[in-house]
This record gives sequence, C-alpha cells and structure tokens, in this order.
Amino acid sequence: MNEDLKKTLLNPIFKGNPITVLVLGICSSLAVTVQLKGACVMALSVIIVTGLSSLVVSLLRNSIPNRVRIIVQLVVVAMMVILVDQVLKAYAYAIDKQLSVYIGLIITNCIVMGRIEAFALGNKPIPSLLDGLANGAGYGMILIIVAFFRELLGSGTLFGFRVLPESYVPNNLVILPPMALILLGCIVWVQRSIQKDLQEK
Amino acid sequence: MEYISLFVKSIFVDNMIFAYFLGMCSYLAVSKNVKTANGLGIAVIFVLLCTLPLNYLLNKFVLQPGALSWLGESFKDVDLSFLSFILFIAVIAAFVQIVEMVVEKFLPSLYSSLGIFLPLIAVNCAILGGSLFMQQREFLNVGEAATYAIGSGIGWWLAIVALAAIREKMAYSKVPAPLKGLGITFMVVGLMGMAFMTFMGISL
Amino acid sequence: MNTNSNVYTIVYTTIIVVVAAAILAIAAMALKPKQDANVKAETISQMLTAAGFSSKEDLAKLGNDKILEMYSQNVKTAFLIDAAGKKTGELETEIGNIELQDNLKVENKNIAKGDPELPVYVFEKDGAEINVIPIYGAGLWGPIWGYIAFNANCTEIVGAYFDHESETPGLGAKIKDEAWFREQFKGEQVNFKNPDDSFDIIKGGAPKDDKSAVDAITGATMTCNGLDAALDTWFKAYMPFLMKKAGAAASDDSCCGDECCGDGCQDKGTCDHNHEHNHQEG
Repeated sequence: MNEDLKKTLLNPIFKGNPITVLVLGICSSLAVTVQLKGACVMALSVIIVTGLSSLVVSLLRNSIPNRVRIIVQLVVVAMMVILVDQVLKAYAYAIDKQLSVYIGLIITNCIVMGRIEAFALGNKPIPSLLDGLANGAGYGMILIIVAFFRELLGSGTLFGFRVLPESYVPNNLVILPPMALILLGCIVWVQRSIQKDLQEK
Repeated sequence: MEYISLFVKSIFVDNMIFAYFLGMCSYLAVSKNVKTANGLGIAVIFVLLCTLPLNYLLNKFVLQPGALSWLGESFKDVDLSFLSFILFIAVIAAFVQIVEMVVEKFLPSLYSSLGIFLPLIAVNCAILGGSLFMQQREFLNVGEAATYAIGSGIGWWLAIVALAAIREKMAYSKVPAPLKGLGITFMVVGLMGMAFMTFMGISL
Repeated sequence: MNTNSNVYTIVYTTIIVVVAAAILAIAAMALKPKQDANVKAETISQMLTAAGFSSKEDLAKLGNDKILEMYSQNVKTAFLIDAAGKKTGELETEIGNIELQDNLKVENKNIAKGDPELPVYVFEKDGAEINVIPIYGAGLWGPIWGYIAFNANCTEIVGAYFDHESETPGLGAKIKDEAWFREQFKGEQVNFKNPDDSFDIIKGGAPKDDKSAVDAITGATMTCNGLDAALDTWFKAYMPFLMKKAGAAASDDSCCGDECCGDGCQDKGTCDHNHEHNHQEG
C-alpha cells in the first residue's frame, strides 16, 4: 500500500483522532457508551455512514454547485443515516430501540460533515472512502474504550457477561453521563502525555 | 401553569448540554471567552425558537402516521416518519442560512468572531436533537413546542456562558501540560454535569 | 457546464432530492414488513412473559415466526373494551392476521379524554384462563409500559412485565432488568375499594399484608412513582371490566353479557335483558 493511503488510514486512529484531537463527535459518544453493545453498534453505524457519505460526496464533488454545498452534503448524509436506521429496525430491533434518537443524530455528528468538508470534497473517491472509514474507526475506538470502563465499573459486566465477582458493588456514578466526560478527559490526558506535540500552550 | 413548568424544566432539568450532552462540538470550541459564547448562545436560541415550532407543524401535518388525513380519507394510512430526519434538517439548514445572511449584514463583528461556527449551527446536535425530542414527546400545540424551544435554547446558552466564564478564569491556574485545554475542559464539563444532576427528577 | 448558474443549481438540487427520496422510499417499503413483524413480536413477547408462558430471553431466541405461532396457539380471544368495560370490537388472533392494540401512547391520551379503546388478551394456560392488559405511563426520562396478567376472574395478578425507553441503566431500568421486581406482582391484587389509587409501589418497602402494594427499587424513586401512576391510571380505566370479572357488580349498567348476569347482576336484579348482548366468541 503506498505511503499516502497508509497515512490516510492510520492517522485518524491516533494522531488525528476525531474525538480527542479534532474535538468532533462528542455528543453521541457520551450517551451511547453505557454498555459495550450499544457502543459497538454506534461505532459500526458511524463507520459505515462516514465511509459511504465521503465516497458519494467525493464521486459528486465536481458537480456540486457551490451555493448548495452544505445542503447536498446533508441530504447525502441524512440518506445514509436513514438507511442504517431502517436496516437496524428490521434486523436488530432491540438495539435500535435503545439507540433511537442517537442514530438520527449521526446526521449532525460533526465527524461526518467535518471529514466531507475537509477531505472528500477535494480528494478522489477511494482515498475519501478510506478516510471516512478510518475516522469512523478512530471514533469507534474511543467509544469502545469509554464504554469498556463504564460497563465494567458500572455494572461489573462486559457485553452483558458478568466479569467482576458478584460481591462487586457496581459504581453507579460511572453509569451517569458526566463520568463519560471525565473519562474522556482522562483519555486525552493519557494521549497527550504520550504525544507531547499535541499539548496546548 | 403548564407553560411555566415546561419552560423551567427545559432550562434546568432537560438541559441540552448537561442532561443530554447535545451540541458539544461547538460548545467546547467556542467557549474560550464569554463574549463569543454569548453570541453563539443567542444564535442557538433564535434558531431553536424558529425551527422547532415549524418542525412541530411539519410533524403534525405531514410526517406522523395518519398525519396526511387532512388531504383526504385515502391518506389515513400514509406514514412518512422515515423522512423526518431529512425534512427537519432541511428546515434547520435553511434557517441557519437566513440567520447567517442577517448576521453578516447587521452584526459584522459578531459574524467574524463566530467564523465557521455560525454555519455549523446547522449541524448542532442540540438543534436537531430538540426537534427529535419534540417528535417523541408529543406536545399538545405549537405554544408548548415554542416554550420547549426557548427553554432548551436558554439552557444551552446558560451552559456555554457558564463554561466560558470558568475557562476564562482557569487561564490563570496551573493546569498540568497534558491536561491543558481540551482535557481539563472535558473534566470541568463533567463536573458541571454532575452539579446539574441535582435538578434531575424535579417535578414542577 | 457552469456549475454555479442558477438553472444548474436548481436542477441539480431537485435531482438529488428526488433520488434520495426514491431510494429511501424503496428501502422503507422493502423493510417495513420485517419491521412491523419485529414490533409485533416484541409486544407479544412481553405479553407472553407477563402471562408466564416463557421468559423474554428464551422468546428472543425463538425468532419472530415462532413467537407469533406461540401467540396464536395460546390465545383464546382478544377484544377491545371502552371506558364502561363494554366490549366494542374483536381483535383477530389467527396466525398471519394477528391484530394487536399496541398504540399505547394514543390510548393513554384517550383514557384522559374519556374515550379509550382498551385491549384485553385472554390466554389459556394449563386449562386456566389468563387475562392480560397493557399499562403505559411516563417514567423519569421517557415512556414506560408493560403488561399485567390476571387470573380468570381478575382477582389476582399472576405475572407482570415492564419495559422502558430511556430510564437510567442500573436504576430506573431495573423495572425491566431485575426479575425480583416483577416477581413481587405475583399474588397481588388490584384494590377494587380504592379505584383512584388501586395499586402502590412503596419506597422503603411495602407492608407484607398489603396485597395491593409492592416494594419500590432503591435509587429509582422517580421511575417507580411513574410506574405507580401508570398502574393507577390504567387499572382505573379497566376497573369496570376487572370488577365485572370479579363479580363485584360495580355499576349495573355495565352489565351486558351472559357471563356477568350470572353473578352480580342477578343478585341486584337489575340485569337489563334489553341491553344488546355481546356474545362471548371463540
């Protein structure tokens, strides 16, 4: 694989991580990370939506009239999200019930729009697809880390399977949304301690 | 009175930022000083106030299952709710475009300080989230929808101005280097969220 | 082609919107049968769990078709009643044509308005009749609902199932996740003597001899209060029907069928034979 494509794929996972570095896509990452199962479904949905939307917009990039750029992007993204939502309702009803509003909010998930504006509009389809998938994956990784701690400490389970002994009293504070933010703060702390050039002055 | 309790509830108990964590991206990015935070907050209130009642009417007369029955009996079974996301977002995008044009013409200094975040209101989760929650909650009339809109907007504005005020003061504290900026902001917002949880479950 | 000309812009936007709407409409139509089956199977699973035929987890493994089959095999009859407990319609129970009244949100509003259409699902288990009714209300963050299963004459609850949309996991969500909470309802009764507040969920523990009260969940006070209110509202709406079944002969003008004239109405001698009789079918 040539250097550029490799960079496109790997950058969003660490150095250019959408949540911790670009500060995009925070909203949904807090609400759906209570359990690993929900986080995984959300991560998968965002990967698919970001990848496909970037691909479609990149294919159309030379024909979009400038004045309606945002609207066309929104239509493409909204269409992808609705398709994902409809498929979930048909094949994974129980999970869709839990995630309902937040799937819809993928439309406004800054990551999707942000990557379209920053990359897909100026690049060829295949790199755009990869960029979209990679950013979705970077987002998904953070989601899974946060959900891991929240489910483990908050219910003693992982994916619904009991991991900690019965005598562990679940930490109810971790289940509440504010803790997700504090956990995110900790993740940023760890990342910036390792990658010192990300630290703000 | 129903409206007053709905109003107070949507500012504190159903606070868009602290209860549902919607609208975070622009929230975190624009809260560095109180002046711009104020401007963005007011823009959000305005967009919410205009789009939510419109989307309410759209939902009531076009999107809900059975909503099209005013066109005729044969339309009673039509369920267009799968178009909700697209139509809501279209209304919001159109309004933000109008707001952008008005601000550019009449408040040019605000326009330049808000920069990219003004058009980004269109994708502010809080605005679309407000419309989606409205759809779930089934308000009785446009008045209730408008009250909910103003309340949610004021709640968001309150949150962003408060955070901006804290961040301004924090510029003088000794925050460890890896935590500076984004990291400590996350934690502060988390703590503020915990504080707002005292409002949870208050019934008025 | 000038991509910035007005004509191009308008034509382009129109085409994009039309294509997007078409793709969505096709997808929605194609997936709708499966979605509806999911919703139906979910409602039925909840009813079957409340009635004690199986557990939600086991039913989830069966798949939609088997769940619908189980419903058809075990249900005796299903019908709608109005605010006076009078039968107003039948719900089809043959497989392939199962009708359910599962728009609980709308019926909740109709109860407040005074003209609801309430469903009753009558099952047969081991030779005994089980009556299942839904309940619906507001929890802390969103709607909560469930099904209560009564014995043949509605004098005792034999099972319950509760669900919610967005209650706090680990707290309010326990109404669904913790079996002990539902198990409490077995053997309880609706308090016919107090129609406005016929059931209680009590924080700190319900008195053991109170057959119409159960313990609330610690830390989930608001959700339990919401559930308490939902039970009170819906039990009150069903009260004429429940009392009729229990033979308590509440309001005599609701007496309208052969099965009730047998008990309460005959005692009071006010069974109006000119009333239109709704014959028990099936």
